[in-house]
Amino acid sequence: MITEAPRVPKLYIDILDQVFEIEKKLATIEQSNSIGRNINRLREMMATIDKDAGLVYESPLGEVFNETRNDVEASISGESAENLVINEVIKPIIRYRKGGVNIIARKGVVVVQSAQP
Amino acid sequence: MENTINFGIDLGTTNSAIAKFVKGEVVIFNNPLDYGRATLPSVVSYRKDKILVGTQAKQYLERDPKNVLAVFKRKMGTAESYKIKATNESITPIQLSAEVLKQLKTFVNTGDKLNAVVITIPASFDMIQSNATKEAGHLAGFDQVVLLQEPIAASLAYANMKKAKEMEDGQWLVYDLGGGTFDVALVRIKDGEMKVLDHEGDNFLGGADFDQLIVEKLIVPKLSEQYSFDDLYTELTSASGRLNGVYHKLCHLAEQAKVRLSAVPSAEIEVNGFQDATGEDVDIEVTITRSEFNNLIKPHIDRTLEMIKTILTRKSIRSNDVQYTLMVGGSTYIPFVRQRTEEVLQIPVNCEIDPTTAVAIGAAYYAATKPKEINKPSTEASKVNALSIRASYNKASKEKDELFAARVTGNTDGLFYRIVRQDGGFDSGLKKLSERISEDLPLVDSAFNYFVLTVYDGQNNVVDTDMEPITINSGFAISGQPLPEDICLEVDDLDHPGSTRLVPIFERNAILPARKTATLPLTRNLIKGNEHDRIWINVYEGPQTSLPSANKLIGVIEVTGKMITRDVSKGSDIEITISMSESRDLTVAGYLTMSDQEFKNVFNPKVRDTNLDLLREHVGDLADQLDDELEAATEKEEYETASQLTKLKKQLAKVGEEAENLSDDDVTDKRYQLEDQKRKIAQELDAATKDKRINKIKELYTKVKEECQELLDTGGNDHERNTFRNIVAQEPSFLASNNPLRVQEKSDELQSIMAEIKWRTPDFLMGIFKWLSEQQHRMNDQSQAKSLVDAGRFASESENWARLKEINYGLLDLLPKQAREQATGKIGFGL
Repeated sequence: MITEAPRVPKLYIDILDQVFEIEKKLATIEQSNSIGRNINRLREMMATIDKDAGLVYESPLGEVFNETRNDVEASISGESAENLVINEVIKPIIRYRKGGVNIIARKGVVVVQSAQP
Repeated sequence: MENTINFGIDLGTTNSAIAKFVKGEVVIFNNPLDYGRATLPSVVSYRKDKILVGTQAKQYLERDPKNVLAVFKRKMGTAESYKIKATNESITPIQLSAEVLKQLKTFVNTGDKLNAVVITIPASFDMIQSNATKEAGHLAGFDQVVLLQEPIAASLAYANMKKAKEMEDGQWLVYDLGGGTFDVALVRIKDGEMKVLDHEGDNFLGGADFDQLIVEKLIVPKLSEQYSFDDLYTELTSASGRLNGVYHKLCHLAEQAKVRLSAVPSAEIEVNGFQDATGEDVDIEVTITRSEFNNLIKPHIDRTLEMIKTILTRKSIRSNDVQYTLMVGGSTYIPFVRQRTEEVLQIPVNCEIDPTTAVAIGAAYYAATKPKEINKPSTEASKVNALSIRASYNKASKEKDELFAARVTGNTDGLFYRIVRQDGGFDSGLKKLSERISEDLPLVDSAFNYFVLTVYDGQNNVVDTDMEPITINSGFAISGQPLPEDICLEVDDLDHPGSTRLVPIFERNAILPARKTATLPLTRNLIKGNEHDRIWINVYEGPQTSLPSANKLIGVIEVTGKMITRDVSKGSDIEITISMSESRDLTVAGYLTMSDQEFKNVFNPKVRDTNLDLLREHVGDLADQLDDELEAATEKEEYETASQLTKLKKQLAKVGEEAENLSDDDVTDKRYQLEDQKRKIAQELDAATKDKRINKIKELYTKVKEECQELLDTGGNDHERNTFRNIVAQEPSFLASNNPLRVQEKSDELQSIMAEIKWRTPDFLMGIFKWLSEQQHRMNDQSQAKSLVDAGRFASESENWARLKEINYGLLDLLPKQAREQATGKIGFGL
């Protein structure tokens, strides 16, 4: 029923986590720089590990969370568990892509909080 | 039908798992919704219209305790029931356990109908608790339920791993420290009968407690020391606290550090992303050493050991009488747990089985010995008339989610449905089936989204329907138009210095929009301020096999020394990104890594961009090429070709003259006309000489093939022979293609095989060594060179070819850079 991702070396996952971390930190640097290029290059390399297949990550920051979502492992912060929104991404969702096929290789790890004031 | 039970389930307090005995081995089924994990959190969540079990439910545990239930195993056999707020119903621990068992059934992907199973129970379970577990099994649709004590299951897993046919009389401890609970049992085998003699336990001790301890006792004090907080721990742990979100993150990081500490003496935790009371950004790396962690958990581990001592005293057993302590449960991966247990008890610990799955594995081994007592079909429900489902949904969508609606005909009473996305990222949970169903299905962008709708009866047996998988194409190749021609980039042809060739960026029929980045090393220096130092980024439309000048130049960027902020050296990278929108706007960007500068331009096909300088240069190149070809054709007495080329030469001379006379700021269409004429001439030249080029490359291929065959016969291995055969098998296709690039590529592949073989051949190695020895006086480190040459002589004499190969590489490294390039060229590196 569910297509399992091929066994992805942990090293690749670890590298992507680090790239994501760097990208997150980069967003806080106000001085103009071109670090983004190197990050994009790393991302592109990982996206084409094989000729037509590779790994990509995505940040679900700001997306709605509910119990049907199975691409992230969430910790609920705050008092309410209604109208939850992902407000921090500890680890991104890593997907294995090959042509039109798209499988989750590693769930994201996120913190969610109610969007209600 | 198999006549033994074969299926075993570890129905754990915190996690559960299912395994099957198949032909002498046990297979653990993976949790299809939790990648790479074989366990299912024993947590059940109720919503108005659905039930969720496992990780999804666990996430809501702390915040929604009225609807999410865990650790109900402790309440098995009691009269207690849980009032569910969402459904306003009372649920018993038996019903909850049945939900976990039903979910585990969905892990089984072998097509088996599960009607009999072995379920494990703690050694502490009494008759009522045991019967309650059996009832949960029946409720989940198992007609036959056999119970097995967890410590015995773990011991069986160990015995089977050791392939011990019959276990010798003796006794041992099973120490089970999991995520949230601790159990220990003394197990004895006598005359082939294994039984639990005594047991103890703590329902509130496990790995999760250790993670929280790391946060409370190690991270919080270090943060409080460095930054200003009023009461950091309360701010973190209180649901209304400012930093409650950070607490979950810290627990996650603490867990990772804990796992790392099992392998390395210290682990770093990076804490950032929030502010202290004064508004200062927290950004600190907290180092936790293994000894700090060990001191932290020591009191808890010692408490477990006290329980063991109690058992031993109660049973009047000395440490010497116990063979070993079998370690079970994920937390026994912690080295200190193993070490401390051994140290205090003076009994060797045994860590040979996988602590997380041992109980389920043992249960499956036991199941393989228990005959099935039922042979009737498992349930009546699965025999209900097949349902018919009419579905309606958009097959293509650019939305984030798409509404799925369906109409069900047939008897839907007591049935449930569940929709799961193929990548596992969406699970609707079990919902009551009714005549009409509708669901919002979230889509993964730019991909084909497959969903499967499955109908289950009340015991999670699949009910047949005529429902096909749901396929929704999300933004992927929708209405994208294919490219009519290849889009290529012009690059220097390193094999033929002075000439250029095309590399395809987007191939014909690729779907727009498209984007690609190529990183290429520069082949020349660019000196800051020097306008004669130039780089051209030329993008062409047309067949990749043609010569650049025969194709249509659709975008060009010129970078001169005047435009750069610093000198850029040969060998540094240029990153060229080419993208084409659906409406065919071409964007070309060249980024020089050394000067950190980007040059970008958008080329709109309506405004053709023809650079006069470039046109003149192309005309010049084309004229040189024409002369060469003309000479060659005359020499070979190919008069027809020669006359055609002479005609082209005249035409080109005219184009060249007009281009020279045109002023740089000419506003007429003249430059475009000249560009067109030049292109036509180039195309004709290409057509007239293409046969010659391809024949030359084919000749080279044949020659390389013969040489390669000879080398393979004398020194090739199976792998190389296979690669060779594969290339030769493809000959009909690439030779017939008349594509010079494809044939060249195959020649290169054959040359790589040759290089591999040569570097193992004694004659070749000795030849190289001889040449390198002669270069000794030029080498960078004379004393090292001397010792390598001496060692090389010895290796040659003793015919140690592997050593000689290493020495050759070593000597190559000592050559001055220029000589090294020459040598590698000679010996075939980089083929």
